[in-house]
Amino acid sequence: MPSIHHQNIQESSTDPITGFLNRAACFNKISQLAKQATPVRRLFAVWVALDRFKLVNESCGHQGGDMLIFQIASRLQDSTGTDTLWFRMAGDEFVHLSLAEDPDQAEQLADTLLNAIQAPLSLNNLMLRPSASLGIATLGTNEFPHACLERADHAMKSAKRAGGSRIVVSGRELIPGRLGIRMAHDELETENKLHIAIEQGGLNLHYQPIIASDGSLLSVEALMRCTSHQLSPAEFIPIAEKTGLIIRLGEWSLLEGANFARRLETAGLRTSVSINISRAQFSMPHFPQTLHAALLCANVDPQRIELELTESLFMDNSCIVQINLRATKDTGVKISIDDFGTGFSCLATLKDIHASKLKIDRAFVVALPHDKRALSVVSAIARLGKDLGMLVVAEGVENQAQIDALLEAGVHAIQGYIHARPMPEDALLKWVWNRK
Amino acid sequence: MTPHHSALETQLEISLNKIGIPPRPAILETISAEMKKDEPDINHLSSIISADVALAASLINITNSPYFGFRGRVHTAREALMILGLNVASKAIAGLVMRRAFPSSPHLERFWDASSRIAKLSGWLAQRIRNSTLRADDAYTFGLFRDCGIPILISRFPSYPSILNEANHDAVHSFTDVEDLSLPTNHAVIGYVLAQSWWLSEETIFAIRRHHDVDTLKSSSIPPSLNSRHMIAVAQLAEYLLQQHSGLSQTQEWVKLGSACLQLLNLNEAGLERVMTEVAPVIAAEN
Repeated sequence: MPSIHHQNIQESSTDPITGFLNRAACFNKISQLAKQATPVRRLFAVWVALDRFKLVNESCGHQGGDMLIFQIASRLQDSTGTDTLWFRMAGDEFVHLSLAEDPDQAEQLADTLLNAIQAPLSLNNLMLRPSASLGIATLGTNEFPHACLERADHAMKSAKRAGGSRIVVSGRELIPGRLGIRMAHDELETENKLHIAIEQGGLNLHYQPIIASDGSLLSVEALMRCTSHQLSPAEFIPIAEKTGLIIRLGEWSLLEGANFARRLETAGLRTSVSINISRAQFSMPHFPQTLHAALLCANVDPQRIELELTESLFMDNSCIVQINLRATKDTGVKISIDDFGTGFSCLATLKDIHASKLKIDRAFVVALPHDKRALSVVSAIARLGKDLGMLVVAEGVENQAQIDALLEAGVHAIQGYIHARPMPEDALLKWVWNRK
Repeated sequence: MTPHHSALETQLEISLNKIGIPPRPAILETISAEMKKDEPDINHLSSIISADVALAASLINITNSPYFGFRGRVHTAREALMILGLNVASKAIAGLVMRRAFPSSPHLERFWDASSRIAKLSGWLAQRIRNSTLRADDAYTFGLFRDCGIPILISRFPSYPSILNEANHDAVHSFTDVEDLSLPTNHAVIGYVLAQSWWLSEETIFAIRRHHDVDTLKSSSIPPSLNSRHMIAVAQLAEYLLQQHSGLSQTQEWVKLGSACLQLLNLNEAGLERVMTEVAPVIAAEN
C-alpha cells in the first residue's frame, strides 16, 4: 500500500478528467525511460493534439469539451492498452511514451491512434468527427530526453499547420495536404451535414443558362447544390473550402458536369457546360489526370467543357498552377476567367491567358444601369476581352435595363435570373425545348 | 491488378464509345432514399429488388457465399436484406449493378468474375485480420470497384491491352507509373473518379486511387486512412491467395507490394501460411 505522501504525489500528478499523468510527470518519466533506451530498444514519443478543440469548447461549453477529452482519452488508452504511459500535456494535447525494438512501431501506433480518434462521436446532440494532429519523435543517441519531447511537439505543430488529421514524423519532410480548419458551432454542424450529404449522395448540380446577345443558348454553368440538407451554396461552399472537402466535391462535379455535357450532345444540343474549379482543386498535382479521367469516363468532346477559374489563379506563378494551366489547355477543354474585375487583375498576365471567356463579376452588374463609372469599367472590360479574343459574359443580371446597358457596352452574353435561375437537369432540358 | 489478364490482352470487342461513364443506377438512389428514413421499408425495397430477377438472384447468392460466413441459407431478396442489413446490402447491390452497367462481352465477364472472386475473398479476409477495423462489406466493395477503370481505358485506347500487359510484367515500376508513361491518366484515377460519382465511401475512393502505390502502404504520414490502406492490403492478399490457389500468377504486384501488405496486416511468413491453409477450402467451396 502506498504511503500517504506517495498517494498525494500520485493524485496531484494525475489529471482528474482523463486519469492520465500530467505534463510535469511526463518530463520526469521521459528522463527515466531514456536510461532504459538502447540503440536497439529506442524510446519514442507520440504527441497528439485534437484539431478544432477550441470550437467544441465554444459551442458545447467547457463541460462538453471535458466530455470530449474524456472520450478521446479512453480511445487513446484502449488503443495502446491500459498499462501504457499516457500524459495530458495541455487542454487537448496528450503524449504517449514507449520503448520499441521495431522502428516502425511508432508510426503504426500513431496510425492506430488517429484511426481511433476519427470515429464519429456524439456530444450534446451534435455528431462530431474528431480529428487530430500527431507528431512522432524517437530519442536520438546522446539526445537530451526533453529535446525529444520538444521535437514531437514541433512535429505535431507541423501536422496541424498542414491542416490537421495527419501524422508527421520529426525530421521528415512534411507532405502538404488538406486545408486548415477553423470554424464555430454552426460551421461544425454544417460540416457534419455536408459529410452526411456526401456519404448519402445528397449533392446535385443545377444548371444556369448563359444567353448570347442574339438570344441563342451559349452554354450552361453547373452550380453545386446540397438538396438533401437544404444547405445553400453560401453556407456549404466556404465550409467545403475550409475543410478541403471542396477538392472531393470539385472532382465529383467535374465528372457530373462532363456527363451532362455528353447527355446534351446525345440530345442534339451543342451547348457547352461550364464547371467551376476551386483554387485548391486546381493546385493539386494530379488535377490533369483527374480531368483526363473525367473526360474519358464521360466520353465527351473536350470542347463541350469549359473550366471556370477565378482570375487570381492566373496570377499564381507557382510551378504547379502553371503546369496545370498548360496541361488543361492541352486536353482541349476551354478555360474561362471567372469573377473578373474584383481580384488582383493584372493586365500583363491577362495578355498571356488564352481563355475563351471572361466573366464580369456581378459586383459591376448590380450597379447598372445608373452607375456611369461602373458602366465605364464594364465597357473597358468588354472591349479588352473582345480584343483578346474572348467572349465577355456578365453574371448576376436581374433586369432588362441591365441587359440593355451591358449589350450596349459590348458584352456578348448574359447570365442571371432575368433569363433563368439555376435548375436541375430535367428542368433545364424542358426549358431549352420550350424556348425552341 | 486482377488475375486472368491474359483474357484482356486481346482487344475487347466492347464499345463503351457509345456511352459515357455508367451513371449511378436508380436502384441505388431508391435504397439510399429509403435508408434516410427513420423506418426504412424493407418490404418495399425487397419488392423492387425482386422485380429484377437477376439482381435478386445475385444478392441471394452473395448472402449465401461462404466468404460472408452467414450460417444457414437465404431464399428471398427480403431475407437477404434482413441478414445483410441495408448498409451492407446497398454496397453489395452497388457492386452487382456496376458490373451490369458496363457492356457485356466474354472477356469482360472473365474480368468481372476475377474481380468478384477477389472482392468476396477480401470480405472473408477482413473478418480474420486481427489488427484491422476494416469491415467485410467495405473490403468487398473495394475489391469490386478497385480495377473498374480498366474496362474504360480498354474502350478508349486501342493500345491499352499492350500497356496492361507491360504493367503486369513490370517487377520494378509501379503499375500506374507504367500506365502514366503512355497515357494521360491511369486506371486507378479513373476508378477513383467513377467511385466518386457513385458516392462510395471516402475510404474506398482513396484506396482505389492509391492501390498500386507502395508508399501509401508503407507510410502513415500520407493520407489516406489506415482503413483505406487495409483495404488495399487485404485485396492484394486476396489476389495473391487466389493466384496461389489457381497456380496462375500473371502479375508482379505481390512482388512489389506483398511485403508492405503483410507488414500492414501484421502477418509474418508463418501467419501467411496459416491463412493459405485456412482459405483453401473456402476458395474450393466457392468454385
